[in-house]
Amino acid sequence: MTAIPAYILEILWNRLLSIAEEQAQVLMRTAFSTIVREAGDLSAAVFDRRGRMVAQARTGTPGHINTMARGMRFFLEEFPVETIRKGDVLISNDPYKLAGQLNDMCLVTPVFHHDRLVGFFASCCHMVDIGGVGLTADAREVFEEGLHVPFCKFHVEGHENRDVVRFLRANVRTPDEVIGDIYAQIAAGEIGARRLEQLLTEFALPDIETLSDEIVSRSERAMREAIQQFPEGRFSFACMNDGFDVPIRIEVSVERRGSDIHADFEGTADALPRGINVPLAYTIAYSSYAVKCIVAPDVPNNEGSFLPIKITAPEGSILNPIHPAPTAARHILGHFLPSVIFGAFQAAVPGTVPADSAAGLWVTQLSGRRRDGTSFAFAFFSCGGMGARVGKDGLSVTSFPSGIQNVATEVIEVASPVVLRQRELRPDSGGAGRQRGGLGQVIRFEVRTDGPCTLSAMYDRIRYAPWGAAGGADGAAGDVIGANGRQITPKGRSLIEPGEEVTLRLPGGGGHGFATERTEAAVREDIRDGYITPEAARNVYGRNIEPGASTLDYGKE
Amino acid sequence: MSAAAYWIGADIGGTFTDIFIVDRASGSCLTGKVLTDHQDPTNSIIDGLSSIAQRTGIDLGATEHFLHGTTLVTNAVIQRRGAKTAMLTTEGFRDAVEIGTEHRFDLYDLDLEKPAPLVPRRWRRPARERVLADGHVELAIDTAQVEREVRDLVDEGVESFAVCFLHSYRNPVHEQAAREIIQAVAPDIHVSISSEIAPEIREYERGSTVSINAFVAPIVAPYLRRLGLRLHQEGIPAQLLIMQSNGGTCAPDVAEKHPVRLLESGPAAGAIGAAYIARAIRRDRVLFFDMGGTTAKAFIIDDAQPLLARELEVAQVYRFKRGSGLPVQAPAIEMIEIGAGGGSIAYVDRLGLLKVGPDSAESEPGPACYGLGGTRPTVTDADLVLGYIGAATFLSGRMRLDVEAARRAIDEHIARPLGLSVDEAAWGIHQVVNENMAAAARVHVLEHGRTPENYTMVAFGGAGPTHAYGVARALNLPEIVIPWHAGVGSAFGMLCAPVSFEMAQSRSVTLDEVNWPDAADLLETMSRECQAQVQRAGVQGTELVVQRSADIRYRGQGHEIQIDLEGLSWPDVDTNEVRRRFRSQYRDLNGVEGPDHPVDVITWRTSVRGPIPQLPLANPDNGASPGAFVSRPVYFAETGGFVDARVIARGELKSGTSVAGPAIVDLGDASISVGPAGEAQLRPDGLIAIRLERRES
Repeated sequence: MTAIPAYILEILWNRLLSIAEEQAQVLMRTAFSTIVREAGDLSAAVFDRRGRMVAQARTGTPGHINTMARGMRFFLEEFPVETIRKGDVLISNDPYKLAGQLNDMCLVTPVFHHDRLVGFFASCCHMVDIGGVGLTADAREVFEEGLHVPFCKFHVEGHENRDVVRFLRANVRTPDEVIGDIYAQIAAGEIGARRLEQLLTEFALPDIETLSDEIVSRSERAMREAIQQFPEGRFSFACMNDGFDVPIRIEVSVERRGSDIHADFEGTADALPRGINVPLAYTIAYSSYAVKCIVAPDVPNNEGSFLPIKITAPEGSILNPIHPAPTAARHILGHFLPSVIFGAFQAAVPGTVPADSAAGLWVTQLSGRRRDGTSFAFAFFSCGGMGARVGKDGLSVTSFPSGIQNVATEVIEVASPVVLRQRELRPDSGGAGRQRGGLGQVIRFEVRTDGPCTLSAMYDRIRYAPWGAAGGADGAAGDVIGANGRQITPKGRSLIEPGEEVTLRLPGGGGHGFATERTEAAVREDIRDGYITPEAARNVYGRNIEPGASTLDYGKE
Repeated sequence: MSAAAYWIGADIGGTFTDIFIVDRASGSCLTGKVLTDHQDPTNSIIDGLSSIAQRTGIDLGATEHFLHGTTLVTNAVIQRRGAKTAMLTTEGFRDAVEIGTEHRFDLYDLDLEKPAPLVPRRWRRPARERVLADGHVELAIDTAQVEREVRDLVDEGVESFAVCFLHSYRNPVHEQAAREIIQAVAPDIHVSISSEIAPEIREYERGSTVSINAFVAPIVAPYLRRLGLRLHQEGIPAQLLIMQSNGGTCAPDVAEKHPVRLLESGPAAGAIGAAYIARAIRRDRVLFFDMGGTTAKAFIIDDAQPLLARELEVAQVYRFKRGSGLPVQAPAIEMIEIGAGGGSIAYVDRLGLLKVGPDSAESEPGPACYGLGGTRPTVTDADLVLGYIGAATFLSGRMRLDVEAARRAIDEHIARPLGLSVDEAAWGIHQVVNENMAAAARVHVLEHGRTPENYTMVAFGGAGPTHAYGVARALNLPEIVIPWHAGVGSAFGMLCAPVSFEMAQSRSVTLDEVNWPDAADLLETMSRECQAQVQRAGVQGTELVVQRSADIRYRGQGHEIQIDLEGLSWPDVDTNEVRRRFRSQYRDLNGVEGPDHPVDVITWRTSVRGPIPQLPLANPDNGASPGAFVSRPVYFAETGGFVDARVIARGELKSGTSVAGPAIVDLGDASISVGPAGEAQLRPDGLIAIRLERRES
């Protein structure tokens, strides 16, 4: 087939995107995992027969999409194309080669057209449970974190591989939900396969190779053109992160040479015997996401847009750990990586990159016994503020870099014995600046149980606040406090007494530009709405504004 | 001939106000289209009616029913032109409407803006009170504290109040107490409480809904009263009914209290009109396609009932981006809307692809061919170049189109950058926009667990008849049906709508633990309330149809499915039958068998509606008269380029005879394309049906 006309290409490409979207929608509706449905923590994509990702659903986080895109080759290494039969379905949760965590299960459905393999549908979905100690940051080896499903066939020529199913069922706490979610992934893959076959029939195409060549080469070209707009050279950045119990150093140097970008994390701290290690696949996923956000947010995300971006980290470092280092809480540092990459970009193109965001989803997982003796386990997610942008204030309480959604207070209280006392914006937490950082939030809750319950916390930015840019101030750091002001560990498990009030104060984003340059009108409005206090206006912004009649002071924490 | 009895439908849109009048005695119909007067929209209605009355000499004093739909509410929210609104919330939770879902609806755009809440933080005040998830009052409302806040807000000049307390869908006493306090302080001020407006779980969505209601109520009430007064002054003694987004109508005082239910009344009316046609042609699977100047919409109509959604989104910051608008918990007709209309602009993107929309040339400057200053190529320009619309016959000749301007715009922005001829480029634009619409419709249909191939398309809208053929072919549909009044479809649809009212109440319970007599009582209470609202519009008790249902889901999943609870042996309901219904719908929707896993009921629903009016479809006055044989070159890919296609005016079509494509049927306000794979026929009922050849799949 010769080159495809531009308008036919647009039509075919759109069709592929909507097929991937449909696959994701089915998964969202049928998944049992709260994280999948409330947080959209799943991905679905179409691959050509060479294993190149050509189209993906909009839903999903970079951690899933980008790891799956690169993970397909490991499936094909284990099962070369000529060994895959119609009716096979491949499975794995290899945390080092796929999404970085045992709970994330990848399923691959090959598509056959006229008895020839023409491509794949793959999805990655967070399982409710995968055995082991449960989802926590404090395991010491990956073996404690649950069942590792190596690259294998879940279906063999249309028949379920019973041994795999039995291994899985025997090793997880909620076998029905886990197997149910895997079936949902398979069903979604089958739907995708059917649609792709219909597309090939309708347009009389033998396969999608010509189409994928066009998609990949056009995306790559657009990405390279965008990269070339950037200053050439090498830009470094180093910073500290809270770490597990002691702070750790993260260092990156980003180099633009020609139309390639290479980010190298040489100088970064060593891996830990704790679950915050980030497998290289996940490091690559969030780093390349950050590069794309700054360089070319509107270029489609596929094999072509990955090609010009290279990410490396020293073997044995916390961003490229060696098996069997634990990885269950890899998202904490993974979500921090865009902050680091943006730091290097600040040096490359000063004044154009947003200030640092609270980056890092706060996961609160509670488990114990209700007053009626039944057990409960419930998780909710919360976000801090985003950094101020050039010309725009930062967004308050917004997920970044993941794309999660929170769980409504009323839903939390119906589904669990948790009672919230406050869930409000946190005044003065946005870093001061010409543009103010987005506000974090204050969440106060108690758990109505007779005995103590377990809080498994995954919180970051307690020691190191999101930093300001171009003269802007840092946002407020986070903290976690129990009854009588006791400090609660931000990473790992602690016991909460019945009725003990826990206060989470989530970080605010950094400010952009000097605070004294913020307009008086903007400062006044911020006071009126209680985003900042009159004290902050005086001390940080250098403005004496008396609270007017409508000024609020409900921001007490 | 019996005395005339008019029913009038009037739909106020962004650009035009459409009027459709039917005489129920003779079955004859009249239509009118006037520009909308945005200063005082009631002028557009009165002007439109007077010009029809003058033209035809009908006596509007013989009007029985006047049905009205308006974009007033939607525009007030989009343009933020509502009342200064305050909100009382449970202490500790006043930011629920600002925090929202914490979601970022575009993964890569660091510059994005989220929708600002309608009530600014300074006017969101805490009330000391607490109701727990089971409805138990943990902390009684502090009336003195609430009164202080209310006085302060009234002093600030606040004009309207919204109240949204935690778990008020379960126990409304504190919201009711707050309303009493507000009314004691300021007797004339509007108060909306969430337990009345949207008693459903999720404080952000419920809070957003009640704040929209409070924001628009103070402008809707005077508008409706003024309209009633003006109709009265004009000697039109009709019962005024207002169109709601759920496809039903309601009495003006119900609309004044629940203006949030009027948000999507125009599109809903169109869907009801299409459902009416579905019933008339006995098609139980209809895909309704409505394409205007800036957007295209698709609706699923099964068994002559449009699918309903429990939620919608308004005032999106980024057009057509889900999550960028304000959520509304109100029953609405389910649809998908994309930025594809006659005015959608075509361009070549940085990847060298031909893209169309969502940016639109709107009515100003308009498509290049309007000659009003537009220079960028639009879908209408492409349609003109391809011969689908006629330069001299557009809008019955009221507007001449400039073909050369259209060719210039396409040449400069599309043909030359892509190395195509102007004709090929125009075809590319037409194809891409058709495919975009087909793709959106396909995803919409598939998302609801249906397959598009079995659907008959019904098309409305100024551009709908022109693009129906291409979209239906892309979806491989067997048939298209278009009414002669496709250009004023929403005004027609209103006349087909029954009076209706719906209520929902969240009360989560495991299906196995449902106390059915209690559930029956709850539904009965809701049903009585709905009936009272419907009877306000003059519907008799004996004509009412009650429909009970529940939103059910697997424990642990987030997606509820609305399950019909009619046809059960109330109050001794067989739980297993309900479970069977749920599992069967789950399978249909998702294509997989659901697991054997506990099932929860989340929300209980009741809807009550009056009878569906009977209307004529054909216009008896519009008799068939043979015209001269006219043809013009029209481009079709199947014929490899331009062919001479017959152009037939609607009035020239004879009942029963067929016209094989390629052909164009000119409806005056719109033009139907019939490609080579189609054959058009005027049905005895006056509808135009196009049968399509199908590809094997």
